[in-house]
Amino acid sequence: MNPILEIMNLTVRYKIKNKEIHAVEDISLLVNKEEFVGIVGESGSGKSTMAHAIVRLLPPNAYIKNGRVNLLGYDLINMSDEEVMKVRWKDFSIVFQKSMSALSPVHRIDDQMMEAIKLHNPQISQQEIESRLDKLLQMVNLPKRVLKSYPHELSGGMMQRVMIALALVNFPKFVIFDEATTALDVVTQGQIIEEVRQLVKELSLTGMVITHDIGVVNELCDKIAVMYAGKLVEYGPKSDIIHNPYHPYTKALISSLPDFIKERGEFAGIPGNLPDLSQLPKGCIFAPRCPLADEKCFEQVPSLLRNDDRQVACFKVKEVKT
Amino acid sequence: MNDTKLLEVRNLKKYFTLRKFGRKSFVRAVDGVSFHIDRGEILGILGESGCGKSTLGLVLSRIEKETEGDIIFKNKKISGSLKLDKQTRRDIQIILQNPYDSFDPRLTIQDSLIVPLKIHGIGENTSDRREIILDYLHKAGFEPPSAFLKRYPHELSGGQLQRISVLRAMMLKPSFLIADECVSMLDLSVRASVINLLLDLTSMENTSMMFITHDISLGKFLSDRLAVIYLGKIVELGNAKEVSENPLHPYTKILISYSPSVFEKKEKIKPKEILSTTHQNIQRGCSFAPRCPFAKKECFEREPELFEVEKRHWVACLNYKK
Repeated sequence: MNPILEIMNLTVRYKIKNKEIHAVEDISLLVNKEEFVGIVGESGSGKSTMAHAIVRLLPPNAYIKNGRVNLLGYDLINMSDEEVMKVRWKDFSIVFQKSMSALSPVHRIDDQMMEAIKLHNPQISQQEIESRLDKLLQMVNLPKRVLKSYPHELSGGMMQRVMIALALVNFPKFVIFDEATTALDVVTQGQIIEEVRQLVKELSLTGMVITHDIGVVNELCDKIAVMYAGKLVEYGPKSDIIHNPYHPYTKALISSLPDFIKERGEFAGIPGNLPDLSQLPKGCIFAPRCPLADEKCFEQVPSLLRNDDRQVACFKVKEVKT
Repeated sequence: MNDTKLLEVRNLKKYFTLRKFGRKSFVRAVDGVSFHIDRGEILGILGESGCGKSTLGLVLSRIEKETEGDIIFKNKKISGSLKLDKQTRRDIQIILQNPYDSFDPRLTIQDSLIVPLKIHGIGENTSDRREIILDYLHKAGFEPPSAFLKRYPHELSGGQLQRISVLRAMMLKPSFLIADECVSMLDLSVRASVINLLLDLTSMENTSMMFITHDISLGKFLSDRLAVIYLGKIVELGNAKEVSENPLHPYTKILISYSPSVFEKKEKIKPKEILSTTHQNIQRGCSFAPRCPFAKKECFEREPELFEVEKRHWVACLNYKK
């Protein structure tokens, strides 16, 4: 199997005043063809920063300290902005959470979608564009009238479908869903998840789903990568991660899912707070909150260990496993 | 009325008036709900955004005035006017979703917490009241408690501040607490601290709680009974476990089959229409009929009433016969 996305030692930092925020620290990740990987983490874990670094859409105060991103054969980190603009949205795209702010409020939906098509296919005929838009709308279950609407005339679920259609407008091979269903109602979210699953099959897409909802990942992905404070702590097939997690953080996270809680007293959570990302502690990033941490954990940084198709960064893995 | 009942609501309605081009229309946010809450009971209110669950909370906390209907609290009618005696005001407390919005950003935690104590004459003087606050902060796991008195809301994390808003409500020892989506903006790992504090304090004082949420799995293990709301009406009411594991109303069935879960799913039940109807254009008959996959001709003509289908399990659906 050849990887579609290869991230190697990616480190992204934000400069805020005199501080350096370690948003993404030394992450390496492989995504194979037609695989969907869910990036799970709480707010501030760096999952969105990582996604935006991959598609080169970081805000001006962020910079890539080092690392390589190889997506569909493009060496994205070392490409110029102009070169990236030529392939972004054509070969890979991203669906944002806030569709209201991602769409232009003063242009009709069809104009916005047409622009994205024309930009990458200058030769395309009007007829072809129209048939493509029809097809896309059908794929995301939207009525035709949406094309002539402005964003404010649509509901949240419709707008999110427009965003998905817009991301697929040039039939890319790789799509990132950045909290794409988070703000939606349960039923709408469930429907969109189903539609995306269908599309993944039809277009043989590869992709990444960024979310804090493990339930969504379970319905949509094959693999799960768990991030904590900018670090990748665990990576593996979804059912292994959900039903047999290795890392103490993943364990704690999974056991605080209401799905697994039967009685009121069982609700545990994780005591403590995220570390200050401008001053990283020595040793394992999770050690201050970890129930298993010992001296070594506070001294040395655990590296990502591989065990068959699973990876975990913890000195205590043997103890965790049993 | 027997003594175990704390609150009884009869045919409560709350309409908001809209004026568009001089024409009046109504948003029927709460449209004739009746239920009761026992002393010490937790009633979960489950519904999607816009179903009127938050409006119900605001009307019961006497922030909004109802359009019609009766609210009987401790054998006394409190509906009809927003003017209440001090004891009843103290007896009904509400916790809102975003703690950063419900605290005055220019007041320290101590100043924010001391006001309700002063108003209700708890404690002799300021130092006395500070002792009470310190005691509660200690109970909520703030160590050392005195370090938090002089802090401002923005200096605390969302989870910490939400714990303080739980304290602010529970310091007054209310007999009825309304928690409106009180953990939905918090991360999984910190939800537990808020929920456990809420459960500890309410069970200690035998406080009844109305827990408003859109999260089925959370509502299931937290509540004693669960009410499912669709477009301002209760469509199903019963024991929390019973409703979530053996849903009878088609809407509840759809809601549960579509909520993302970490477990393998059975067959999904699909709604007929993709887009939901709004409060304004409800037609005759059952408000869920246009989306209901089991709707019969009768459903579009006659409005179903809530009745006991199984023991202590009420459903408003014409598919079940009396």
